[in-house]
Amino acid sequence: MIRNRVLFALAVAAVAAAAALPFLGFAPNRLLSGRPIPLSAALDPPWGLAVLPGVWLLAAPFLRPGRGVALATVGAAVLLASGLLVLAGHHAAQLASSASPAARTSFGSGFWVLEAAALLAALDGIRRLELAPAPRIAVGAGAALLLAAPLLAGQLDQLSILKEYANRRDVFADAVVRHGVIVAAALVPTLVVGVPLGVLAQRRRAVGRVVFPVLNIVQTIPSIALFGLLLAPLSALAGAWPGLGISGVGLWPAVIALTLYSLLPIVRNVAAGLDGVPAPVRQAARGMGMTPAQVFLRVDVPLALPVFLSGLRITLVQAVGLAAVAALIGAGGLGAIMFQGLFANALDLVLLGAVPVILLAVAVDGALRLAVALLGRSPA
Amino acid sequence: MRTVIAFMLGLLLAGGGAQAADAVRVGSKLDSESGLLGTMILQMLEANGIPTENRIQLGPTKIVRSALLAGEIDIYPEYTGNGAFFFNIDSDPVWKNAGAGYEKVRQLDREKNNVVWLKPAPANNTWAIAVRKDVASPNGLASMEDFAKWVSGGGKAKIAASAEFVESPAALPSFQGTYGFTLKPEQILVLAGGDTAATIRAAAEGTSGVNTAMVYGTDGAISALDLVVMADTKGAQMVYEPAPTVRAAVLDKHPKIKDALEPVFASLDAGTLRTLNARISVEGQDVKQVATAYLKSKGFLK
Repeated sequence: MIRNRVLFALAVAAVAAAAALPFLGFAPNRLLSGRPIPLSAALDPPWGLAVLPGVWLLAAPFLRPGRGVALATVGAAVLLASGLLVLAGHHAAQLASSASPAARTSFGSGFWVLEAAALLAALDGIRRLELAPAPRIAVGAGAALLLAAPLLAGQLDQLSILKEYANRRDVFADAVVRHGVIVAAALVPTLVVGVPLGVLAQRRRAVGRVVFPVLNIVQTIPSIALFGLLLAPLSALAGAWPGLGISGVGLWPAVIALTLYSLLPIVRNVAAGLDGVPAPVRQAARGMGMTPAQVFLRVDVPLALPVFLSGLRITLVQAVGLAAVAALIGAGGLGAIMFQGLFANALDLVLLGAVPVILLAVAVDGALRLAVALLGRSPA
Repeated sequence: MRTVIAFMLGLLLAGGGAQAADAVRVGSKLDSESGLLGTMILQMLEANGIPTENRIQLGPTKIVRSALLAGEIDIYPEYTGNGAFFFNIDSDPVWKNAGAGYEKVRQLDREKNNVVWLKPAPANNTWAIAVRKDVASPNGLASMEDFAKWVSGGGKAKIAASAEFVESPAALPSFQGTYGFTLKPEQILVLAGGDTAATIRAAAEGTSGVNTAMVYGTDGAISALDLVVMADTKGAQMVYEPAPTVRAAVLDKHPKIKDALEPVFASLDAGTLRTLNARISVEGQDVKQVATAYLKSKGFLK
């Protein structure tokens, strides 16, 4: 009897991936494709025991659901996700000991499916636990620590992606910071323009009828095209007033393009949040003698805040991803590492840029979800 | 609203102004050879006591070139043949001659943009055709003339190339016209994106029966993966030699740049660049270590 269909589906996918897909790929050098290595070849003891928590995950779909089972599932799933990393790192080290320094070991498709299944099982368990914000932070931090442990302990150093990291050690941190700076620099004008525009659009319907179609159209322009379109006018502007410090490449077009993309979710959610404030509440506040400014600050703002915050979450997650494309116009950041990898046909270098972008987006998403939860209301 | 605009302008101005005042900003394109040459420039300037700012692997050609012209960066390595496209005169035969092409672009860029081209490396990183060694050796293929004769005589060549290489009149059509051969559509595998790392890999691994690849003359992977370049004996291709391009104002301020860089670039012939590129793209060594090791071995760095 299947009691948890989500876990059952994940278990089936994981077993199929473990049996049929390569766990690792071993290539004689950075350019050639790897020879596939199945999970079974990497499972020699004692490190093979790292996949043992997987046994619980195979049994869990058939157990009666409850908090105890959910908690054990979260624990087993995180341990498995971490164990798979350890296993890959250890086998890579073993392969490296008897190969030329140019040889590369990369994650195979089987690894990715197994890792994704384990992490999704953990998320399913956390959802079922229905934790309050504080314990949720504790569980999340614990899981993150367990997953980062093999990396921090140097267990993964012989994997190709970390060899790429070793070559870029002194620019990697700068790239991450730069990525954050691009997103943050776009956030300021987005809020300064977007919030008043949202309020205005909600109060004056005529403004909304103009603003939303325009922002919708902006949203449909492909990002590379928008960056390209900004190059010419900004370069012209820079030529006309060289003293302004404007230029057609680098941070300027990146910030302007990201701001244009970010306006829609912010403006829409500010307007939607204010729309959601019940008219009787406003009338009651007026009846109590509040001035219009007081009604806005003490009634509208607090009640619209959760909807606004979920708009901010969408905006930031979108901006973290879009900022990667800004590398094509010389803005730097993690996108620059991704494009170097694409140019050199080095997939692990692409991953070195892409994985931190994903982690950054997940972190931003989690932090703002938590902020919404702490406000004690569910987002619209 | 006015305060909002003033605030935004202030913010962006502060961002734009936050640059080291005196440092020479060294840029490069995204590919690994450009990264290597940019790193060598950076290390040589530092060794000569010139303060630098690292803008290596800034973006694709269009971005890096606009950044130089806009004064966003001060120096980066560029290929002589690209002058044909910067000045929109790609039909001019001058680009097929190394010396004349360099003179042309040196003059034009100095007059129109105040950009100085230092002496290029004697290494032609132009489009070329390379064949698997196990195909080239038994058929005696060493030059494009051999290749054309082989293909016209029914040789089973199958080339992996980018769409640009296949379609641009300056690339494959120029080879076919100059040497008198035609590759049938089923003998051409167009790879999306189509960088030479992908085409060389396809030939080395024999993907879809590919035995020939579009390459660049100084690609590191060519000999590492057992391919043989067909010599362009009749000069069908434009010459692309890498040279430092620097803003004249910066060169005037730091005249040492010229003496520091020209002997380094003069030492980089095609074979040397191929070996260095292979260390980066095939063996996966660190660009900075490869640059330092080379500069030290030649005595440019102590």
